[in-house]
Amino acid sequence: MRDDHIRAVKEIIGAIVKNNINLVAEKWLEDFILATDQPAQLAKVFVMLPRKTGKLPIAITDDQQEALQAAGFSYIRNWTIDRLARVWLLAGFDQGDKELFFSTINRLFLSAEVNEAVALYSALPFLSHPEIWEKRCAEGIRSNIGSVLEAIMENNPYPAAHLDEAAWNQLVLKAFFTEKNISLIAGLDQRANLQLALTLVDYAKERWAAGREVHPQLWRLVGKFTNAEIFETLKTGLQHYNQIEQRAIALAISESGYQPAKDYISTFPELKLALADGSLNWNSFNP
Amino acid sequence: MMGAPEAFDISTVKGMKFFDPHVHMTSRTTDDYQAMADAGIVALIEPAFWLGQPRTGLDSFRDYYSSLIGWERFRSSQFGIKHYCTIGLNSREANNESLAEQVMEILPLFVYKEGVVGIGEIGFDDQTAAEEKYYRLQLELAKEAGMPVQVHTPHRDKKKGTQRSMDIALEHGLDPYHIIIDHNNEETVKEVLDRGFWAAFTIYPFTKMGNERMVEIVKQYGAERIMVNSAADWGISDPLAVPKTAALMKMRGLSDQDIELVTYRNAITAFAQSGQLDEADFNAQIDLTEKFEGNTILRGGQQPRTDKSSIIIS
Repeated sequence: MRDDHIRAVKEIIGAIVKNNINLVAEKWLEDFILATDQPAQLAKVFVMLPRKTGKLPIAITDDQQEALQAAGFSYIRNWTIDRLARVWLLAGFDQGDKELFFSTINRLFLSAEVNEAVALYSALPFLSHPEIWEKRCAEGIRSNIGSVLEAIMENNPYPAAHLDEAAWNQLVLKAFFTEKNISLIAGLDQRANLQLALTLVDYAKERWAAGREVHPQLWRLVGKFTNAEIFETLKTGLQHYNQIEQRAIALAISESGYQPAKDYISTFPELKLALADGSLNWNSFNP
Repeated sequence: MMGAPEAFDISTVKGMKFFDPHVHMTSRTTDDYQAMADAGIVALIEPAFWLGQPRTGLDSFRDYYSSLIGWERFRSSQFGIKHYCTIGLNSREANNESLAEQVMEILPLFVYKEGVVGIGEIGFDDQTAAEEKYYRLQLELAKEAGMPVQVHTPHRDKKKGTQRSMDIALEHGLDPYHIIIDHNNEETVKEVLDRGFWAAFTIYPFTKMGNERMVEIVKQYGAERIMVNSAADWGISDPLAVPKTAALMKMRGLSDQDIELVTYRNAITAFAQSGQLDEADFNAQIDLTEKFEGNTILRGGQQPRTDKSSIIIS
């Protein structure tokens, strides 16, 4: 993401924050911004913030919504004011000393309660020096807490932009495990890779062995990488399992370049028809 | 796939003894200890685990390990259940390398303590380089100490994680007969057994094994080198998973001998290789006057057992 692009989003966020807090809270935040010892003050301000701002869902103007939409951050509309104000606070914090910046914010991560952690991970796309947060983001994926995982996995452009392949694959796999909304993972299709596809195929086999269903969106990440080995698993799915899984596998195969699989799909009249009339797309598998 | 709800009839396994080789009692209540004792569990192993959130300093590891060999063992003894533990740095927390380094330094202080029957549970969570590093270091520690290893296999990407865990253990020259590969499923069991390792199964609702599937696995692979545990912890889990599975096995026609192997004997055989586990210690009399460093679980004249069927709590 370009810096000027992020700067523009930060400005919109700042305006939304102002519109959603009272004068006392605004004065309190301004005092912090003018403080000469910000690093020392940050933790207290960050933790106390909801007491000043409240926790109501934010109100947003049509213009702001349009601007956010254009910048790809329209999801912010659904946040509460304390979450947004915390993100804004962190987004504007850097004072040039990278070490101090890292240690100050890292300390917040170490002692964060759930809402603080949600705000911290939500702030990742807006923090300076994005590269230094990579390990922290990977650590967040190890969390067991649903809302924290959602803050990282859903509608957050940071992971796709900065995580290495292993951590990225872990995010996607864990999103399936913890039943997150897969279609909200930013960069999902762009970062599909063979290793992830093979892992997901093993996961599907494990689910079948346990008598469980497989999430249809899983095949979206497999199709492009279809080879002889993966094709064998796809066949199993087509032959034994439910219609939704079958249709998802058919769609995945239609996106592959593996001809034997395409030929095989043609032997299922219902699937062939569904593909031909264009009614199948990944959004049709959303809950 | 799910069977119709059926009540657990404890009488089907009355008189049988059980060993739960993987259960996190720190997260459980005294009611669980009572129910476990009533259901025939005579001994258990508590592997060192993570608390659901990462520890941030060495002292919290030290206190936790101390509680496994101290207070928790005492608490268990008050219900007539012999408590052992395995000690290790769990995989998730291996990713905090600066802290992991410090934990590695104190591990040798704990693994040689009385009643520590293995290094565990160690292995992979999300299969990072740091997890591999500390898995290897702890395998070396196990080799040096001549201890069995209890390997946690990952929830995600399990098949590859299981294969990798075994490959690495062999690379370090460990005998597969000293290694208990835990949390197996239908996709991993064959290779684990074929390669000579112990295959443990965790009966844990919704996520790991169901016990109906467990019955089928024993039918297919036999009872040799297979063991069943509950891995009950702070999640929705069942500390009676071992006796319940035994009861189901009985109902589904498995032999008493096979049931005994997978719910009792095999785990003892495997972990007794530590030299720290003696079946004769299982039947120690409960000494209710005993205290742990001056503390007792019986507060202000409480009796250890209360009548759960009574509505009156006096």
